[in-house]
Amino acid sequence: MLQTLLINTVRLLFLILLQSLVVSRMSSLNGLILPWVYIFGILMLPFSTPRWLLLCISFVVGLLMDYFTGPLGLHTSACVVLGFAQPIVQRLLAPREGYDASQRPTLQRMGFAWYTTYAGVLTLIHHTWLFFLEVYRFSDFFFQVLHIIMSAAVTLLLMIIGQYLIYNSKSTEL
Amino acid sequence: MRNLIGLISKFHAFLIFLGLQVLALYILFANNNYHNSEFNHQSSDLVGYIYGKRSQMSEYWRLGEINDQLSLDNAKLRSQRAENFYTQRSVVDTLRDTSMTMRYTYRPAKVVNYSVNREQNFVYLTLDRGSIGDLKPEMGVISHGAIVGKVVSVSNHFAVVMPVLHKDFRASVKHKKTGFNGYLLWRGRDPNIADVIEITRSAPVAVGDTIVTTGFSAYFPKDLMVGIVERIEDDKDFHLLKVRLSADFTKLDYVEVISDLMHDEQKQLEQEVENATNTSN
Repeated sequence: MLQTLLINTVRLLFLILLQSLVVSRMSSLNGLILPWVYIFGILMLPFSTPRWLLLCISFVVGLLMDYFTGPLGLHTSACVVLGFAQPIVQRLLAPREGYDASQRPTLQRMGFAWYTTYAGVLTLIHHTWLFFLEVYRFSDFFFQVLHIIMSAAVTLLLMIIGQYLIYNSKSTEL
Repeated sequence: MRNLIGLISKFHAFLIFLGLQVLALYILFANNNYHNSEFNHQSSDLVGYIYGKRSQMSEYWRLGEINDQLSLDNAKLRSQRAENFYTQRSVVDTLRDTSMTMRYTYRPAKVVNYSVNREQNFVYLTLDRGSIGDLKPEMGVISHGAIVGKVVSVSNHFAVVMPVLHKDFRASVKHKKTGFNGYLLWRGRDPNIADVIEITRSAPVAVGDTIVTTGFSAYFPKDLMVGIVERIEDDKDFHLLKVRLSADFTKLDYVEVISDLMHDEQKQLEQEVENATNTSN
């Protein structure tokens, strides 16, 4: 329990720093692609996390992210949406026998198809909310949609690569 | 009552979600004013410190490039020294020049954080000098002689700059050859190209011409480099010039902050005239 808490906290802080100090610097194609990989930390929280706690964690993570990048409240809002949608997506994708309480949503445990759907849908929700909130207005709609899809795809790709790099299939569940 | 509690416990996640979301949106829209607080947290000392460390690290990779630029600047300055000039007259004036008074001074500063290529509302630069280094809002910022932006907010050790690449940035500029005035603004997402508007159609502008500052706005002296005309897209009465900016916003490192020693005097005089006109009406 304590170990889970510690590891998740460290991972979230690490990802926020990675996002603001490294990933956000790598812009491409006139700003078309801008991945937000820090949400990986929220997606990795155990299935057994209570919903109220998940929402509070998302809020705090978003607020910390805002301190590094945009105006206050932008990522906070997008993360709260993510924290709300996450259990719903998990329920929709649940296997027939349900989730093991100690399980975590990792690629190795849940399989490639499950994980890609799970992370893909949530990344798309988060990025869509974020980008439309960021421009406030819907001008240049096509560019925005392309921006969202490309950024979400790169975020997803980075998260999947990250899973293969960090966890091997034999590693213990944390 | 029991039903109510049951209802609340059933929908508690949604209620918490609603509460936090309203709070987040409130924070976002309450702070949605460029000059007040949008960027104040970024010139806050902790975030500024972390970005300062990051910039220190990434600077190592660019030392070669920075050195090249410095030696170029050195050579340029050295060639302007008095002993390099041939004196035309054999009699040297010994009068002290009292017709000149210093107006603009320059202070070096380092860019510790920037973001270009983001959505246009949130582009900014953070400098490692603040009010302790005598920086104030409304000062102009240049990089290697080309305009970069103006200071909008300062803390003790950091300052946030609104760059040319911001939708609210305006500067008075002119066509160097003919002196016709116009306005510089940025409305694209290409960090290299800005627009110059309101130069009259009668001005003979050609691709490749130089655009410089006028010195009308308080923060830039005149004849500072702005950019080179790259494309001309005209409408009925005015030229619309697409200008390639001389400052490279994707790799800014050291900049100079301009302080206008006569800023207050000019503002005060203009204010007096304005007040006089208002009262006489």
